[in-house]
Amino acid sequence: MMLARAAADFYWMGRYLERAEQIGRLLDYQLTRLVDTPARELAHSWRVLYDVVGLASPSVPTDADEAEAFLIADAYTLAGTLVEDETQPSSIVSCWGQARDNAKQLRPWLPVQVWTSLNQGFLWIQETDFPAAWAAGPPSLVREAIRRLRLVAGVSQAMMARDDAWRFMELGRHVERLQHQTSLVDSWDRSGPLSGASASVWWADLLRICSAYELYCRVRSMVVRRKSVLAFLIRNPELPRSLRFAVCRIGNLLADIDPGGARHPLAPPHAMALHLTAAVEMNPLGHVAARRGEEERSGGHSFDSLLKDSLKLHDLTMAAYVDYPVEEGLPS
Amino acid sequence: MPDSIATSLDERFGERPRTCTAGSGAFAHYELDPGIHDELFHHDGTPREDCQRLAAMLARASPDDLAALQDGVARRFLHEGITFTVLGRAEMSEQIIPIDCVPRVLSAEEWDHVDRGLRQRLTALNLFLEDIYHEGRSLRDGVVPADLVLGCRQYRVQMRGLKVPHGAYVSVCGTDVVRTRDGFAVLEDNLRVPSGVSYMLACRAAMKQAFPRLYRAHGVREVAHYPRDLYATLASLGSWGGAPRVAVLTPGRYNSAYYEHAFLAGEMGVVLVEGKDLVVHDSVVYVRTVAGLKRVDVVYRRIDDDFLDPVTFREDSVLGVPGLFEAYRAGNVVIANAPGTGVADDKAVYAFVPAIIRYFLDEEPILANVETHLCRESDGLAYTIDNIEDLVVKEVGGSGGYGMLVGSQASASEREEFVARLRADPANYISQPVLALSRAGCFVDGRLEPRHVDLRPFVLRGRDEIRIAPGGLCRVALRKGELVVNSSQGGGCKDLWILRGNEEAAV
Repeated sequence: MMLARAAADFYWMGRYLERAEQIGRLLDYQLTRLVDTPARELAHSWRVLYDVVGLASPSVPTDADEAEAFLIADAYTLAGTLVEDETQPSSIVSCWGQARDNAKQLRPWLPVQVWTSLNQGFLWIQETDFPAAWAAGPPSLVREAIRRLRLVAGVSQAMMARDDAWRFMELGRHVERLQHQTSLVDSWDRSGPLSGASASVWWADLLRICSAYELYCRVRSMVVRRKSVLAFLIRNPELPRSLRFAVCRIGNLLADIDPGGARHPLAPPHAMALHLTAAVEMNPLGHVAARRGEEERSGGHSFDSLLKDSLKLHDLTMAAYVDYPVEEGLPS
Repeated sequence: MPDSIATSLDERFGERPRTCTAGSGAFAHYELDPGIHDELFHHDGTPREDCQRLAAMLARASPDDLAALQDGVARRFLHEGITFTVLGRAEMSEQIIPIDCVPRVLSAEEWDHVDRGLRQRLTALNLFLEDIYHEGRSLRDGVVPADLVLGCRQYRVQMRGLKVPHGAYVSVCGTDVVRTRDGFAVLEDNLRVPSGVSYMLACRAAMKQAFPRLYRAHGVREVAHYPRDLYATLASLGSWGGAPRVAVLTPGRYNSAYYEHAFLAGEMGVVLVEGKDLVVHDSVVYVRTVAGLKRVDVVYRRIDDDFLDPVTFREDSVLGVPGLFEAYRAGNVVIANAPGTGVADDKAVYAFVPAIIRYFLDEEPILANVETHLCRESDGLAYTIDNIEDLVVKEVGGSGGYGMLVGSQASASEREEFVARLRADPANYISQPVLALSRAGCFVDGRLEPRHVDLRPFVLRGRDEIRIAPGGLCRVALRKGELVVNSSQGGGCKDLWILRGNEEAAV
């Protein structure tokens, strides 16, 4: 028997842990580039990163020398917003704290090992001396955060029963992943590489952020092009960070949570999951040779509509399993 | 904790015993007081028979070993989130309870005495509660002043005439037992929502890991079955055929004992709910699940009466469940403990518990009460004011070490202020002599010293059986000379080892 509130907590715990890792991936990419990337390109990618997490882009001096000085000196301020700023809901510290709050509510359902790994990570990041960590090497701090988040994921994988608690946590994780990946791919595509910069490096970087570069090279080729990369990140069924992988997982999890809802007539969350799957698998969206705006003209889905539908999926899931009216929940 | 330290310490217990006496060697700072019972040593400084192994091991351990062990246990508590919240101290909202790594040891005979006394006391108190909400014989016969009971803030008129399943008003009781030179005595009966049992179990788990061989050699009675006993107790009250659905009702994660609520629900395999998770429909209680509403048969509530149901009790409560009491009245759900049990752990009613035992059971109390002066009576008030320096004054409805004054430790102005409060509302206070609580060996500030302790065993009363886990929460005042052991007042806890008797050990 899965308590509705606990299901919501598992769902949100999954979402926050996923979000924290996503932020970590983006920062790992950016902070690693500080050493040898021209200021102009750094500024460009900061704008994309801030855009992905829904924050206003940092203002960067237009003068090349000033920009250089600003970006290097303030790189850790820019990163700090996304790591240590407790007032910033998308920061790693905030996400970790929120996940821990959810986990705290779930102590009766959560294996002690999962709680302990999550709590230890939270205590670690809370006790981190950020100025010292930034001075010592920011990528190490972010990588340690990612390592600890993956430890939580691994311990959960090993210790949790595959019951509704697990399913709701996974559902949250994949809904978050779907939204984040959609936003990431969209922002990356909208921004594109700077003129004069290498397009193939730009798209290879996106693959690396998504841990997809090696698989891409194996499955496709060493030649990295926009069309091919987008198609890969959207439709590859084996890549854990592809949109298709996320929507398929969401559909399967919903079917396990509520098998009755997966039969005709479909329950609203199931119907939306199916709609999303169709949008990703069979829509002209996959024919990403089309530039932005052409999808709509061809009757397909845009990234915006995918994002909106994934938000609807969240609302429908909460309405069906957590916030339903009493009359609908009474035993027949 | 570092396993190597625990193992190395523990292995040394098997070495040839070294002479260990209070006041010398590792116990150089262990000062005995002839007026205070010491749990570890006799008055002549030699270890008590049941504590010889423990004392020998402590004598061999270096302060660094013990410090590392203590630190390891504290770290384990921190990582596992074994915490409590101190009321009114937002900056310290989540703290680990200090744990002392030296166990307290009680013999089988000592425990047997406490055990029998607790059974007797809870039986009598349940009969008393049934009586005051039905016939009121004990009030008519003057066993307890009727105005004291009926005027008590914890008396619930809504409970009058209501049939409580199996007469189990109090299903879970945490009685505070102290030991003085005169023996064991009950200091308080906690009959509403007693807490602390999770710390008892956490301490035990930590000690087993720290001293596996020492633990085994002592033949300590097990307490790990407490959650199973608790479930069996609760389920026995709500069995109407099938397996009852039990829920633990918590005020939420900001409550000081939230860890315990979550721990118990997890260990029992039942749902942990907040008020908003429960719905009452047609006088039936349901829990909101992802698969719709499911009926609940037993609510183990960890919420005070006042907040239980805004329809029946405090209407501004957002923690409770609207309509819960009506469902209870209709017999569709069991609430444990029953509403209104707090009247029997009122500190003024406490003074009458020996009389209650005699009246309902026709037996002499096995466990003594502490001498108590009722300030509602003019003699009691005068005595309290005249002797306030030598007394502990408490609010009749207070708990957790709040609303009390230890006369000997208060300043003159604090005593004056308290006297003014006594005069303004005498019925709200009782006084008791400052007790010379027994002391047990503790590792504090890098050395072994005695500290005052008490004991809270947990007593369960189901349909027709009383169960007591052989052990309890042993609270310790970690500051030298301090008598208040509550965690909210800086106290800590330690493991309590109840030894098996000879017959039991042989079996």
